Amino acid sequence: MNLERVMQVDRRIIYLFVAIGTILPIIFVIGLPVSITPPVQMAFDRIENELQTGDIVLMSFDYGPSSAPENAPMADAMLRHCFSKGIKVVVIALYPLGGLSEAVNELNKVTAEFPELKYGVDYVNLGYKDGAQAAMKKMAENIHEVFPTDVNGTPLDRLPIMKNIRTYRDMKLVVSLATGIIGEWWANLVNAQFGIPVIVGPTAVSAPKYYAYLEAKQMAGLLGGLKGASEYERLVVNRYPKLGEVYATPGLYTATKGMDVQSIVHLIMIAFIVLGNVVYFTTKRKPRKAS
Amino acid sequence: MKRQLPLLLTFLAGTIPIVAFFVPERHVGLVSTTLDSWLIIVAGFALLLGVVNVIQMNANKIHRRSSGWPYAIVLLLSLAIMGFFGFAGAFDMFGGIATRPDGSSTPFDWLYKFAFLPLQGTMFALLAFFMASASYRAFRARNVEATILLIAALLVMFGRIPFGEMVSKWFPLATEWIMGKPNMAAQRGIMIGAALGAASMALRIILGIERSYLGIGKGE
Repeated sequence: MNLERVMQVDRRIIYLFVAIGTILPIIFVIGLPVSITPPVQMAFDRIENELQTGDIVLMSFDYGPSSAPENAPMADAMLRHCFSKGIKVVVIALYPLGGLSEAVNELNKVTAEFPELKYGVDYVNLGYKDGAQAAMKKMAENIHEVFPTDVNGTPLDRLPIMKNIRTYRDMKLVVSLATGIIGEWWANLVNAQFGIPVIVGPTAVSAPKYYAYLEAKQMAGLLGGLKGASEYERLVVNRYPKLGEVYATPGLYTATKGMDVQSIVHLIMIAFIVLGNVVYFTTKRKPRKAS
Repeated sequence: MKRQLPLLLTFLAGTIPIVAFFVPERHVGLVSTTLDSWLIIVAGFALLLGVVNVIQMNANKIHRRSSGWPYAIVLLLSLAIMGFFGFAGAFDMFGGIATRPDGSSTPFDWLYKFAFLPLQGTMFALLAFFMASASYRAFRARNVEATILLIAALLVMFGRIPFGEMVSKWFPLATEWIMGKPNMAAQRGIMIGAALGAASMALRIILGIERSYLGIGKGE
């Protein structure tokens, strides 16, 4: 075999392998097992063990459609967990490129599974606000000034859930489903200055930098990418078996299904990297012909 | 005056929040929180400025017939259409911005779901293809540092998927160790470095040493 030709393989062949590795697990769901890592367990335990029925969680949708396949399953699993436990959720969006639409879509989807929930009583969507850092800082003074109305234009004073919520002190936890830097601001600005516990669900590519905040106890948990989302799904289903019916719904996109795809694509990439290095060392050792 | 006034405003806007952080006096705090409110408004205008900039750049591109100018037309048309339906939704012309009270889609929501969402998803998904191709060609154990990076990357990639645990339970543990210890140490170094850089740049701006943001050359 001509190793030089292997090195110069057309990139479209690599693309084809990745495409097949992506499409096949979507059609034929493998259902690979998911192991739980400590950062996700910490996030789950914080909500499960340290929050009571009626407590308020602020959930910030800080991502857009580009990273929704990773962030949306986190949002779904955390909303389902909160609602199953009777925790009230205040939703906001700080990401300009579609954060609000993601919040509306995910809330519509999950609240449809909990018909007993009442908008304005058990949950509320305050909508989008520009100037993420400034909005976060101002919310420590008065949330009603940052979001005078909810997403439908209803004044906050007319929403029962918001009557006793003025600042972060009235809430127990902040959850940020984040792409880019906004999740970091929740940890290094809101947690550091105002002390409210923060859980961040970043994309896999951003996850490594959040370990520094996690180790420094500036975060109460971390859901790193699709893997983190799939772990959270597993924990939620184990604790609330009724949610297993929801997750078994055919056609519903879940992180566990997404992990099948990610697993195959990771294996393909590992195989190509190993092959590339084997060929590199083999050709390097071979003496070159005299020209 | 044209230079002194912006410099003075920058100095005040930069120093007031710092002073307020250390001085627990009510009036200082009030000024600082008012500035926070203004910052939200300024951020809104910055977004508007971005839109104006995109329009100017692309209009110039079309005017000069620069390479790829037809794409500029598509971009401006998309901006106008999404902007129109967004504004119309905000003024309740279609029963809401994202969805109507009965849950049905507004035109803005329809465009978001069936144009913006797939396009953004495609952009992000393409990364997987490029990364696979690039890692095959460039990820080589050329020296000690590259070899360490390569081994760490392979371990993390393998340990983050269920196959890793199927082979050995040590793979996920090794992955968590790499992420929680060496990675974290490196990330801290990067973050401390970036924070020091940001702090020194902020000081330069507050003290009027750095003036490039005014469109004025350094030291002028």
